[in-house]
Amino acid sequence: MKAIVLNGATTDNDALEVAHRIFVDDLTARAWQVAPFILRRTEIGYCHGDFGCWVRTPGVCVFKDAAADAAMTFIRSDLAILLTPITFGGYSSELKKALDRMICLISPFFMKLKGEIHHVKRYEQYPRIVAVGTLPEPDAEAEAIFRELVRRNAANMHAPASAVTVILNHEPAEPIRAKLRGALEAAGVQV
Amino acid sequence: MSTPRKIAILVGSARKPHSTSESLAEYLASNLSLRGAEPQVFRVAESARDSSLDILTAVDQADALMIVTPLYMDSLPYLLTATLEQIAQRRNATAAGRRGLACLVHCGFPEALHNEIAIAICRQFAKEAGFEWLGGLSLGGGAVIAGKPLAELGGVLRNVRRSLALTADALAAGQPLPDAAVKLMAKPLINRWVYTLIGNFGWKHMARKLGARRKLNDQPYRRTDDNA
Repeated sequence: MKAIVLNGATTDNDALEVAHRIFVDDLTARAWQVAPFILRRTEIGYCHGDFGCWVRTPGVCVFKDAAADAAMTFIRSDLAILLTPITFGGYSSELKKALDRMICLISPFFMKLKGEIHHVKRYEQYPRIVAVGTLPEPDAEAEAIFRELVRRNAANMHAPASAVTVILNHEPAEPIRAKLRGALEAAGVQV
Repeated sequence: MSTPRKIAILVGSARKPHSTSESLAEYLASNLSLRGAEPQVFRVAESARDSSLDILTAVDQADALMIVTPLYMDSLPYLLTATLEQIAQRRNATAAGRRGLACLVHCGFPEALHNEIAIAICRQFAKEAGFEWLGGLSLGGGAVIAGKPLAELGGVLRNVRRSLALTADALAAGQPLPDAAVKLMAKPLINRWVYTLIGNFGWKHMARKLGARRKLNDQPYRRTDDNA
């Protein structure tokens, strides 16, 4: 089994570093192949919104940088782990720069899904998504926005299952480990 | 006579030379000018290429900030997110005075509801960065505009133009966006079935012009026995 970890920490973030390490160590110990991307140290440019990856070179962004490796690793994984400081309820800019470049993984064509229009799958198989957000202190509004964002992202990225957990900065490692395990189970990942 | 209100309009699109966000922003700016306000349009994509464009100072000096942006992956684009992070950091550091904040989010899906999370993110940004939330507009079917001036697009855009006129009234007067502006913007531009039919045809047409029609469903990163 394969997993990709997209770590969207914008600065040193204790809770995200703990979560990152737990995921990599626990999954590796269970014979998963884990590909971590520390996005603030990864050369990924911004999505130019030109739809080149849909109509010029379908499935591949026309701009060549580490986003191609991230997208290829993502779609070949069974599990995608998104780590981010919750930023105004959404993802950090570091995680967003990578996710914006993933539209090459879906088709431009429209389809109806649960009463809404979405994009058709490009691939038969997509990874399950587990998202971990950190907050400096509890914020029910930010957390609710984050949970709904991940739910909608998972639907648009055709994830077979998804789960979200929120941890507080400076939360001790053991409660974090329990939350991560719960999120993996909620996403149907056997660990 | 009161001082004209300065409205900074931040375009979140990375597209060039002309984006749908820019069409909407320019129409709003011209309506604001007609009402005696002083709009100034900034593009995050230009700011990313030219560090001399000081968006942060302009936001500090404005009475209100209006974000006009496309939806990228269910939320705000990367460049805009990074800009908002900088604005929030600066405002928290300087305890800047209270300003108004409104947004207009548009998407390529025919339904406006896809933009709700992005608008919630703008509202949360307002809360965290000390802005007064003036409201959010949501537009579906943005591909109809395709970067053209709104005035040239005829009756199909009448609700969008009316909404932006009401938005200009409110921003020029320092008021929250009225419900009528929100409702008008969210009205479907054309029938959903027709929109998806034209949209699907449009992708094929564009790919054909670029010699990629037969590759539209390619799976370049597909799993194989070798990489599984």
